[in-house]
Amino acid sequence: MKKWSEVALGIVTGIGGFLEAGSIATSAQGGAEFGFQLAWVLLLGALSLGFLMEMSGRLAAVSKRTYVDQLRERFGFRFFVVPLLAVLVVSFMVLASEIGGAALALEMATGISHGWFAVPLALLGWLLLWRGTFSAVEQGTAVLGLVSLAFAVAAWKLHPQWSTVAHSLLPSRPTRNGARYWYLAVSILGASISPYLYMFYSAGAIEDGWTTEYLAVNRVTSMLGNLFGGGLAIAALVAAAMVFAPHHVKIDQFEQLAQLLASPLGRAGFWLFVATLCITCFGATVEITLSIGYLLAQGFGWQWSENLKPARDARFSVSYSVAILAASIPIAIGADPLQLTNISMVATAASLPVTVIPLAVLMNDRDAMTKYVNGWGTNLALIAIAIVSIVLFFAAVPLQIMAGG
Amino acid sequence: MHDIRLVHDILDAQLCDRNNQNVGRVDALVLEIDDGRAPRVATILVGGSIRARRIGRWVTTLLDLMRQVRHTSDDKVSRIPFSLVRRIDDAIHVDVDEKDLPSEHRERWLKQHVVCRIPGAEGERK
Repeated sequence: MKKWSEVALGIVTGIGGFLEAGSIATSAQGGAEFGFQLAWVLLLGALSLGFLMEMSGRLAAVSKRTYVDQLRERFGFRFFVVPLLAVLVVSFMVLASEIGGAALALEMATGISHGWFAVPLALLGWLLLWRGTFSAVEQGTAVLGLVSLAFAVAAWKLHPQWSTVAHSLLPSRPTRNGARYWYLAVSILGASISPYLYMFYSAGAIEDGWTTEYLAVNRVTSMLGNLFGGGLAIAALVAAAMVFAPHHVKIDQFEQLAQLLASPLGRAGFWLFVATLCITCFGATVEITLSIGYLLAQGFGWQWSENLKPARDARFSVSYSVAILAASIPIAIGADPLQLTNISMVATAASLPVTVIPLAVLMNDRDAMTKYVNGWGTNLALIAIAIVSIVLFFAAVPLQIMAGG
Repeated sequence: MHDIRLVHDILDAQLCDRNNQNVGRVDALVLEIDDGRAPRVATILVGGSIRARRIGRWVTTLLDLMRQVRHTSDDKVSRIPFSLVRRIDDAIHVDVDEKDLPSEHRERWLKQHVVCRIPGAEGERK
């Protein structure tokens, strides 16, 4: 019984983890500019993230060490510096974007410029981390994140041609403006597959004391959670295709996105959008902040746990505190939230090889994984994801220059 | 435990002190070779300057320059005798106290001067 409630919670967490500033913005941009056509990229992103989370959760449950622990132990400090710096930079950018998304939601609600909300939001997130426990953070953001189900209601009420939507779940090439199409595909993948998500997930498995008994729970929650999350992002893309594409509206501000829900659901839709954007971005803010603390503490071997009082793990607590406050500065001094989000998603996509490829070594290490090493199916999936990550690494920057903004 | 491989199992592994606190990772190992005796693992080194040396000479040079600018000389490296290793499992358990390790000075400094000055930092449980 307890296990099933954990499955339910895990799925809900997956939904909340998937939808945030990045995936809402990029899905909507994709829908506005290319109709349903990019839906397959979201499916690919959700499946990839599901596989990566399942593996990093299994790694932690079996070896009793997190993915970051293993990166340092198995590959040594000299190699570890590369993913450390890459993930730190990318996480910081995404963190700033999420603070921007939440701040923009508050601007839409109050009319006060978003710059004013950045520091208070960071302080609120910090307070939650300083005083709260891991399960408080995880469950709070998960349950509140359910407000994003509004996207499914919106897509359903807009009466899209579902057969065309289903058809778009298979990859297809654009008929026009190829560079922009592939740029948006890269952004969507960067928004879906974030290193902080699987690092957070594997640290969570240690915080919650997972053992091999949890492997079934892990498999179900990581796959279903991300498929539901991806489904909601597809709903956002479908809504954008129905609302924006017929009028050839290009999204260059977060505020425009309120139409996704306001158009089918009226005034209530506007407020639902504000709530969804604010809650999902704030949830992501707290989780990314914690991930930055985990990354540093585990990489350098400091004492860490969100369940300990800050005085018992000083370096860990100070690093997440500095991270969240520093990340509020770009928005506070006037960076554009949507531009920041788009650039962060492309940077995330480019950073993936350094965290995806080492997983292939770790998941096949019998010393650490015993009989729970990857089978041929999961290895095949991991190789496919690794190939995608290498393509993203080479394509991201050229596409950003050709078709970004 | 089966045979232990120094680089695979010991280098970069988590260190825990006698109170089961994480106190850094094994940043380097020192082998002692005396005439007429078998070589043996003598010391575990923990510290930023040791890690820097592992990345490359340019990092060490950079850190030396910074140290000269800031006029600090000691590099806060912990040297833990390998004979103090008590157990090797998920981590390497050593019979030392966190308070005696120079490499943990930043943890102690941050705790005393920063963390404990903020309300809600202390206590048994969250």
